[in-house]
Amino acid sequence: MAAPMELFCWSGGWGLPSVDLDSLTVLTYARFTGAPLKVHKVTNPWQSPSGTLPALRTSHGEVISVPHKIITHLRKEKYNADYDLSARQGADTLAFMSLLEEKLLPVLIHTFWVDTKNYVEVTRKWYAEAMPFPLNFFLPGRMQRQFMERLQLLCGEHRPENEEELEKELYQEARECLTLLSQRLGSQKFFFGDAPASLDAFVFGYLALLLQARLPSGKLQAHLRGLQNLCAYCTHVLSLYFPWDGAEGPPPRQTPAGPETEEEPYRRRNQVLSVLAGLAAMVGYALLSGIVSIQRTTPARAPGTRSLSMAEEDEEE
Amino acid sequence: MCNLPIKVVCRANAEYMSPSGKVPFIHVGNQVVSELGPIVQFVKAKGHSLSDGLDEVQKAEMKAYMELVNNMLLTAELYLQWCDETTVGEITHARYGSPYPWPLNHILAYQKQWEVKRKMKAIGWGNKTLDQVLEDVDQCCQALSQRLGTQPYFFNKQPTELDALVFGHLYTILTTQLTNDELSEKVKNYSNLLAFCRRIEQHYFEDRGKGSSSIRSS
Repeated sequence: MAAPMELFCWSGGWGLPSVDLDSLTVLTYARFTGAPLKVHKVTNPWQSPSGTLPALRTSHGEVISVPHKIITHLRKEKYNADYDLSARQGADTLAFMSLLEEKLLPVLIHTFWVDTKNYVEVTRKWYAEAMPFPLNFFLPGRMQRQFMERLQLLCGEHRPENEEELEKELYQEARECLTLLSQRLGSQKFFFGDAPASLDAFVFGYLALLLQARLPSGKLQAHLRGLQNLCAYCTHVLSLYFPWDGAEGPPPRQTPAGPETEEEPYRRRNQVLSVLAGLAAMVGYALLSGIVSIQRTTPARAPGTRSLSMAEEDEEE
Repeated sequence: MCNLPIKVVCRANAEYMSPSGKVPFIHVGNQVVSELGPIVQFVKAKGHSLSDGLDEVQKAEMKAYMELVNNMLLTAELYLQWCDETTVGEITHARYGSPYPWPLNHILAYQKQWEVKRKMKAIGWGNKTLDQVLEDVDQCCQALSQRLGTQPYFFNKQPTELDALVFGHLYTILTTQLTNDELSEKVKNYSNLLAFCRRIEQHYFEDRGKGSSSIRSS
């Protein structure tokens, strides 16, 4: 059989299986369809085969890194969550995905990467703690610049002079979008009835990030909390498909368990190695600079004691 | 569609006159409102609205479809106009720079092209080939065609903002002469969309006696 498909994505935090929107969406879609993926949760984008996360390595060795294309590939491999949808529902999916991209995505980027309080206390903190040294110094800053540029170009057509007004407008549209989603969902379990579809994966990605992260300035979060059916929808998907609540704790499925326990010994080994390295550095410095010199006195003591005992013998004689 | 009396004026510096930098904009009394969304809201505030008869779910769907059209059709049109080398060279540069004297026509055209290319890159369309863009347009038209079905308008009997938006884009695609006709061919594949455009054109434009280019001639 061909090698199983491998998915590289950002690891989890804030009670979610992944902290990145695209990774979360792809993971959720894979869970919905039961696709047998080997999931690698990494905190270093350079570890992924394409340099960005999420990335899918197919069974033929090809690497795909655009989320839409990853989902299309999964569909081609017969893991299709939209199989039962009518043509009209398929059209609705496209329309609502465009709505999400236009209205919610700019605000999501703004909330997590541009809003100073959120960025410093939540986003940067997580990424800086999760990434290995020395990436944690410059990579979060670089990601922030990339996101800010993307945001600028996304809504750069509007009046760029008045930032506060622009912000207000963005949030206003996002609130409207959330209300629209809530109205469309109504009291159903998923957007198209009782079975989840790809649209649910996308919506869940956005909502979960907005709801779960503990944001100090969460204006949109407050609005979202007011929409009961969307909150219930979010918790429902989390409890059904991600019951182990993020990266901590043992997962029920076999496939993600492997790489996760593999990471544990690596972490322990790294800790032990770093302690040993520290000790070796201190001892080496001490010896080299002469603060401590052990070896010279030990051979001198033995003849010293012998000479003492000889002297005693001499005295006795 | 709202039966409002308007006078259409064409100006070369329309983009600069508009408060947000985009056309179209309307000038009413001493107020200037630009872009479709704000204009719709402005007209609604004055008491004319096309979507009053829709319920909440339908309004949500309408907004979503409008975003789809904006996302796919508008971006595809921009791509074709500014990122496809043949079209840029033969048509867009000349058309965009025509109101200005040399060398301004070249400079402004290049500047706009550079701006559009940057935006394409930001939304992920920078690496798309023309075929992929046409495929996206096809998907979008398929979605619209399925939503329209056999109804006269998207929300059955009454036209709404979505109908106006879709008509605007499709009509432009169908009637603009380009170096390659693949884009309009994609739209022509869907007969109900063609019929939809023709119906609106006949009902709202030809009845008023306008003699501009019609769909029949292309």
